[in-house]
Amino acid sequence: MKKSRHQIWQPVLITLIYTGILLIPVTLFADTATPLSTFKGMAGTIKIAGGTAHIPVMKEAAQRIMKTNPDFRITIAGGGSGVGIKQVGEGLVDIGNSGRTPTDEEIAKYGLKLFKWAVDGVGIVVNPENPVKKLNRQQVKDIFAGKITNWKALSGPDRPINVYTRDESSGTRSVFWKKALEKGDIIGSANFVVSNGAMKTAIANDPYAIGYVSVGHIDKSVSPVAFDGVIPTFETVKNGTYPIARGIYSNTKGEPGPLTRQFIDYLFTPEGQAMIAQKGFVPVR
Amino acid sequence: MERTIERLLFFAAITSAGLTLLIFIFMVILGLPLIGEGRFFSLLTTPWSPSHDLFGIYPMIIGTLSIAFLAMRFSVPLSMGCSVLVTLYADSTLSRFLSGLIRLMTGIPTVIYGFTGIFLIVPFIRQIFQNGSGMCILSASLLLAVLIAPTMILFFTDSFNRVPAAYTLAVDALGGTRAQKLFYVILPHSIRGILSGMVLALGRAMGDTLIALMIAGNAVAVPTSVLDSARTLTAHIALVIAADFDSIEFRTLFACGIVLYGFTTLLILIIRGLSTEKEEVP
Amino acid sequence: MKAATIEKLTAVYAWTCGILLVGIVGGILGYLFYRGWPGMNLSLIFGDTSPVAAILLRQPVFNGLFPAIFGTLVLVLLSVSIAVPLGIAAGIYLAEYAGQKARHIFGMIFDILAGIPSIVIGLFGFSVAVFLHHHFSDRIQPCLLISALSLAFLVLPYLIRTTQVAIEDIPRHTRITGTALGASPLQNIIHVLIPHSLGGILSGVVLAVGRCAEDTAVIMLTGVVASAGVPRSLMGGYEALPFYIYYISAQYTNEAELTSGFSACIILILLCASLFGMAFWIRRRISARLLYRH
Repeated sequence: MKKSRHQIWQPVLITLIYTGILLIPVTLFADTATPLSTFKGMAGTIKIAGGTAHIPVMKEAAQRIMKTNPDFRITIAGGGSGVGIKQVGEGLVDIGNSGRTPTDEEIAKYGLKLFKWAVDGVGIVVNPENPVKKLNRQQVKDIFAGKITNWKALSGPDRPINVYTRDESSGTRSVFWKKALEKGDIIGSANFVVSNGAMKTAIANDPYAIGYVSVGHIDKSVSPVAFDGVIPTFETVKNGTYPIARGIYSNTKGEPGPLTRQFIDYLFTPEGQAMIAQKGFVPVR
Repeated sequence: MERTIERLLFFAAITSAGLTLLIFIFMVILGLPLIGEGRFFSLLTTPWSPSHDLFGIYPMIIGTLSIAFLAMRFSVPLSMGCSVLVTLYADSTLSRFLSGLIRLMTGIPTVIYGFTGIFLIVPFIRQIFQNGSGMCILSASLLLAVLIAPTMILFFTDSFNRVPAAYTLAVDALGGTRAQKLFYVILPHSIRGILSGMVLALGRAMGDTLIALMIAGNAVAVPTSVLDSARTLTAHIALVIAADFDSIEFRTLFACGIVLYGFTTLLILIIRGLSTEKEEVP
Repeated sequence: MKAATIEKLTAVYAWTCGILLVGIVGGILGYLFYRGWPGMNLSLIFGDTSPVAAILLRQPVFNGLFPAIFGTLVLVLLSVSIAVPLGIAAGIYLAEYAGQKARHIFGMIFDILAGIPSIVIGLFGFSVAVFLHHHFSDRIQPCLLISALSLAFLVLPYLIRTTQVAIEDIPRHTRITGTALGASPLQNIIHVLIPHSLGGILSGVVLAVGRCAEDTAVIMLTGVVASAGVPRSLMGGYEALPFYIYYISAQYTNEAELTSGFSACIILILLCASLFGMAFWIRRRISARLLYRH
């Protein structure tokens, strides 16, 4: 049957109308922004992602800022230091948090600008019921490598040691691996958890667990283990006696836009630094 | 106008079908560098250890298969028993109530099972076996079995009910017991339906992410016992998604995707093969 | 063995399985309610903000489930509005216009789509976002829109199948009555088929809504975040109830947060159960009414 022009255009027209109707919610909801300048495009919104250790501070800061400026919107995601650096470098977020110093390659590749607002330690933790309270470096390396497998070898209960570790993107993990384990192996049968918070929960729920977590996160639910005689606490990280320490960074791609700048500046104000200390991190000022 | 609507509807069908293929194509394109370097097949057999430059997903394949098959081992007998109860041994009110309950169960989200599993099953397993953290294949399989049971029960019950009344009534007329009806008439007649239900449940078990992610421990080593922590292909995708997306690490996710896509397609083809062999004659 | 003994054993086995299953699920739900009920109050949802201000979106809610609940609702609305027209249209096509061979091929493809694990669909959504981000616009990233699209792919096969089955379930004589009287296939669809299969189609839609509300794997990869407030833009992050539950399970910092996780579970279960019940009820009411109309 010969098709008239009429019959060919009709389906096209109807499809266009259909798609048009679908796009109405888009226009209702979309940002009224242009893709031109980075900061104008995100008017009123700051996206933060990256290190999980930073999250309590980020959330508190966001809450304070949003309470006084209701038009500000701050979204916070985790993912680990690797994710933070990658996403800020790709322009997916405004601030990428990392719990380790970005490497020179990362800085060069993305044009990162670093803002270090605290110093934190990475402490080894066990369940509060566990009698083992101190370990030396060799013992730590052997436990994580799987050479020591039972707590009784450390004068603990006669039970297998359950090792918990973090994913590769984690800054906490990479600092622990470099400074505590001296790049030693971590046993393949270790349980993986996805953030500092998750590590704490896992250790708190398993009496025979051992893992590592940001010192700022340590609270009564887990028990810190002295490393070569030094207990990881706020004080020992502050005066430098605890060796496994790292800077807490918020990174941006190039110079931060005005909103982002405002957020980062807040972290360096006396009020901001007091809040950081209250959350368990050692402020830089 | 007629033709227009038909064209539109056809367009809808084609788009939907195209999407399915598009998903596969995307996986392949993004995983292409892996295939190009000829690493794809080696990925399926090597272990995962990025610090040693090993990006194999073999442990994850073993993890997925162990958890899924163990879950089936728990779930199939349970589901079979429940279907038998619903169709044969329960009276009609109880039977309808149970059916409704089971239908409702299919709506329980996996994240709920995962959440309660962490607080109920994990410590329980840890206590009983005095070994390991409780986050292991066994715990995950138990929960997964409960997850897939309702769907399987509905499937089995459906197959049992399709057996022509002529046959089941004949057994009654001959004075047979319900067990005899089950073993000599119902089961042989519904074999195809039963197998389809099992394959569907297996697919669901292999494709589940949350239970394995929250309960199985996510270790990277190949598990050697059911009390070992393991990682499934699905949990692996959820965990590594955070990594750098130009790296080899990330590209292995597409290998995982292709493997999962392949497994489920295979299962679906098996089901279709089973069900098109003989059509029911009412 | 005697037939009577086998009969007894089978009966015992069947009853044990039944009791076991009901017991397990009852235990899980009971535990959830036991742990979560104490936390169910307005501050669970609205935190420190007043409920009225929060609902009118005048003040942001911190430490409350409201953004997550709102996020889930918006997400579900979006994905269902994308999936429903497409799914129903494709289902009608398969039931009414497709030939035997086409039906077979499409059926297979949609079965495959239905079988794809949700995380693979999430991975697809994420890769599409990254692909578009690199090749088209810098502003595209995993966000509400991408999540809604991915969820739409997730539920599409179910919609297609329920529509197709609903139409095919109509007795043959009813299906051909319209065309036998001289109506065109389209008129037949509009005036005869759809009213008769409405129950099935609607229950399929409600089930799709339930599926979107409960899914976690897809949204985890395509844009849900832990803290974002109420969603204001299609291209931005958002929160969702199932993700909140997952997140809390791993990272609760105190008892109160843990209890809120259980309470969130209760809310989610109630939501899904009511959607489910509604689907079932729609099915029964609409088909019964149509059946007895004449």
